[in-house]
Amino acid sequence: MKRAASLPARVLWNAFYWTYERATWQYDLMVVAILAFVWLTPPDWLNDPMASGCGPLGWVLAQLR
Amino acid sequence: MTFTGLIGRVFMLPLRLIINTCVRLRIHPNTLTFIGVLINIAAAWALALGKFMTAGLIMVVANIFDFIDGKVAVELGEVSQFGGFWDSVIDRFSDLSLFIGLIYLYAQLGRTDYVMITALAMMFAIMTSYTRARAESIIKKCKVGFMERPERIVLFMIGAFTNRMAAVMWVILVLSVFTVADRIILTYRELRDARQVAA
Repeated sequence: MKRAASLPARVLWNAFYWTYERATWQYDLMVVAILAFVWLTPPDWLNDPMASGCGPLGWVLAQLR
Repeated sequence: MTFTGLIGRVFMLPLRLIINTCVRLRIHPNTLTFIGVLINIAAAWALALGKFMTAGLIMVVANIFDFIDGKVAVELGEVSQFGGFWDSVIDRFSDLSLFIGLIYLYAQLGRTDYVMITALAMMFAIMTSYTRARAESIIKKCKVGFMERPERIVLFMIGAFTNRMAAVMWVILVLSVFTVADRIILTYRELRDARQVAA
């Protein structure tokens, strides 16, 4: 008998095995996550060859320190 | 309505005008596709020179052509099997040229790490199209995975306009790997299920 997967496992699987159409709330959520990664990750963390600095996330972390 | 659905509707308004103009001028959709790839090569050139803002602007123009060719074909009644084939082939050239532009830039900067990341992103972007095309020769439909061409192109433009191309390459790489894996999994499952039904 198949055992029901836990909610976090199901969310992770659905994010990996993507079957949602465009313009659904799941798609919107993925877009927000991607844009957050692209814009908030400090370029220095990624060793970006063309951009430098800490970016917005680095600035927030510096303020918290 | 969802956020991305709203953005799609807003952008559709000026595109509608361009489509109507092309239909009125009776520009052949295959010509539009070809103009698109030429402009994309210019965008790749700008990327190679590290002029991201210029590349972003050129990409916008190129992708208008990419987007409208199918719609113009429908409205002109020029939909053909060759048109679909031509569009797919030319799209691959456009994709590859943008990646090659970036690879050239990173190689010039002596950044082997990003040459590799971009080359891998390019490989999986092409494999995304190949797995679907090959799968749909043996199963009915293989449209799973997030990172398809429109997502890739929009990400390229976001990376160019906001100078965050490194982060964009990571996103394209990781999500393209997932997309290829999704398509392999779906194809395996569909063929296994069909075998079980037949047995």
